[in-house]
Amino acid sequence: MTEWLRWTAPPAIVLSLASPVYAVQYLTVAQAQKVAFPSATQFVWAPVVYRPDQVAAIEKRSGEKVMSRGEQVWKAQKGNQFLGFFLVDYVIGKHLVIDYAVALTPEGSVKQVEILEYRESYGGDVANPDWLAQFNGKTSRDPLEMDRDIRNISGATLSSRHVTEGIKRILAIYDVCLK
Amino acid sequence: MVTPRKLRSGVSLSAVLSAARHGTASCSLDGARQRGVALLVAAALTCVGGAAARAADDPASTQVAQASDQQQLLDRLKQMEQRIRTLEQEQRQQQVAPAPAPSPGVLPAQPTVQAVPLPGAPPAAGNKDLFGLYPSPIEGLKFGAYGEFKFGSQQNPDANGHWENGFDAARLVLLPSYAITDSIIFNAEIEFEHGGTAFDNDDKLHGTAEVEQAFIDFKVRDYLNFHSPGVDLVPIGYTNQIHEPTTFYSVNRPELANGLIPTTLDVPSWGTVYGKVTPNIGYEFQISSSLEDFGDSFDSRTAANSAPAGAYAPGVDGRNALGFSKPPVGDFSQLNNDLAYALKISYTPPFVPGLAGSTSVYFSPNIEPRGAHSDLGTPLGKSSLTLVDSELRYRLPRTGFEFRGEYVQAFFGNTANLRANNDSDPTNNVGSTMWGASAEVAYHFPLGRALGGDWEAVPFYRYTYEDLQTGGFHGTDDNGSIGAGRLQFHTVGVAVFPTPKLVLKMNYQHVESHQSGGAKADALLGGVGFFF
Repeated sequence: MTEWLRWTAPPAIVLSLASPVYAVQYLTVAQAQKVAFPSATQFVWAPVVYRPDQVAAIEKRSGEKVMSRGEQVWKAQKGNQFLGFFLVDYVIGKHLVIDYAVALTPEGSVKQVEILEYRESYGGDVANPDWLAQFNGKTSRDPLEMDRDIRNISGATLSSRHVTEGIKRILAIYDVCLK
Repeated sequence: MVTPRKLRSGVSLSAVLSAARHGTASCSLDGARQRGVALLVAAALTCVGGAAARAADDPASTQVAQASDQQQLLDRLKQMEQRIRTLEQEQRQQQVAPAPAPSPGVLPAQPTVQAVPLPGAPPAAGNKDLFGLYPSPIEGLKFGAYGEFKFGSQQNPDANGHWENGFDAARLVLLPSYAITDSIIFNAEIEFEHGGTAFDNDDKLHGTAEVEQAFIDFKVRDYLNFHSPGVDLVPIGYTNQIHEPTTFYSVNRPELANGLIPTTLDVPSWGTVYGKVTPNIGYEFQISSSLEDFGDSFDSRTAANSAPAGAYAPGVDGRNALGFSKPPVGDFSQLNNDLAYALKISYTPPFVPGLAGSTSVYFSPNIEPRGAHSDLGTPLGKSSLTLVDSELRYRLPRTGFEFRGEYVQAFFGNTANLRANNDSDPTNNVGSTMWGASAEVAYHFPLGRALGGDWEAVPFYRYTYEDLQTGGFHGTDDNGSIGAGRLQFHTVGVAVFPTPKLVLKMNYQHVESHQSGGAKADALLGGVGFFF
């Protein structure tokens, strides 16, 4: 849709009740993969199922609890060239789930973070590209702490904090399971 | 058991038992099941072998009887073979099964790995839908909560400023939400204020049980979403929409949110449209039933939904600002036909990282109820209300410094028609406008980890000025303010966060006014707030 529609759609929809409604997310997994690795020719499904010792190691490195048995991981490939990892995860925002994706370089630094779906009525600022861009280049050696190396967002405090904690856990997963 | 021998089928019993003990490549049963199956097979083969042996030893047995026995044994073998297949299938279903790898070039539309909690681990994050602690009994139904308790000592202006100790179970709010679909989500807030409400005198309850929010959220596009008609918050300022106790540092809500914006200003909403026109600019537009210049008890409304004959309390006045002007949300009991319109623009300028703010406007063409009149009996006409707010919040990146500022102003179209200027009380008159401004500084100090949380202390200072009785009085009352509506608030204190979901507060507030003798409303308060 062109940019002008963003400005005219709201008053148009108020006046018209006949417009069709399409329920969409910010990005699907496939779209987010293409955004993160535009040159990739395929994404190889490579999920991780944790061993108990891996769970303990992830929790120790990240300081965050591991709440699932595994992680959804894809390997981005361009022919035989390995471009990086693409992980899909979720956290709780205020009290609804936020689906997000993290693209990692082969060396384990954050390449890109995308919010896939945000369900809360308020606080969608976590999907702001400027805020998400803070994570680019971060590794497991970075603190990833709110108000330290990650800027807080007024009005989205819990969402921004939980997404930050989730990315911290993702980086620990790389160290423990994907390196 | 007969001595193992090669059976007619060419399979030796020992081979079967060995394969069952060690498991075959095609069978992934666990040990107990394997042993059970092995015994079943062994017993069956023993029976078959026994029948064959008997036939060999007793050539006199009839061919028909032998055939019948063997057929029965074969039937039993088939049944056991079917049972083994069933057990194998059950075993597969109990294992965690990641989605099969997609064909090359085919990408899955949705992630499909199922999250299963590890043995001994807390429930999966996606299943901690009840207050973030336990799985919800209904998939998609989630409960959150927030609340605050206040205690301390404060001057009572109605007791000549006498210091009185006290406690207030200010609020406990339940936040049910239910994802009807991923894009249609029910939201609500159910609030109990001041401990709730009861009928009996011994319960000592005079609070509130109310629906503060209830609407359906339709998530369409990032730039276009809807709140259905329902009970909804007016998009004005910051605190009216974000007012959980962990989002502000003082025990009481900021002063501008206590009268000029009568937080929590929830109204009968006819619908809200909202979204982001760019990643850094958002909007909200709401149509709702208008505020009312009627602050009297609910029972005094007439059956005709009008102001009663005789005296009645105003909804807008020079002491409480708009504090008593909320329209009712129930029973078609609103007192005028007028609809109000609110527009809020939110922004996070990318060139100033850490800065967020909003500018909002609320307009009602008329806030006067049906049958509005002065104490002299003269009817009161209409008066519009325009309320504007601009606020900003700034976190200096990589430091603990925080700054907040806000400005609010209300404009009245026809002050001669406001009830407060016609109620025989010259001390609460309202001018053509009322306004307020505040500025707050705070600093976040990390305290380290304890009791499983990362503690943080936030000392703060806030200055607020309000003028609720500017000039331009009209109406039948004697004119001239007495200064009670010109107030300055100095609030200093500290908020301690054991986790972002819990806050312990303490502050001292000094209040100055222009009335004779001063405001006599100082307070030393403590508070506990939580939000999860």
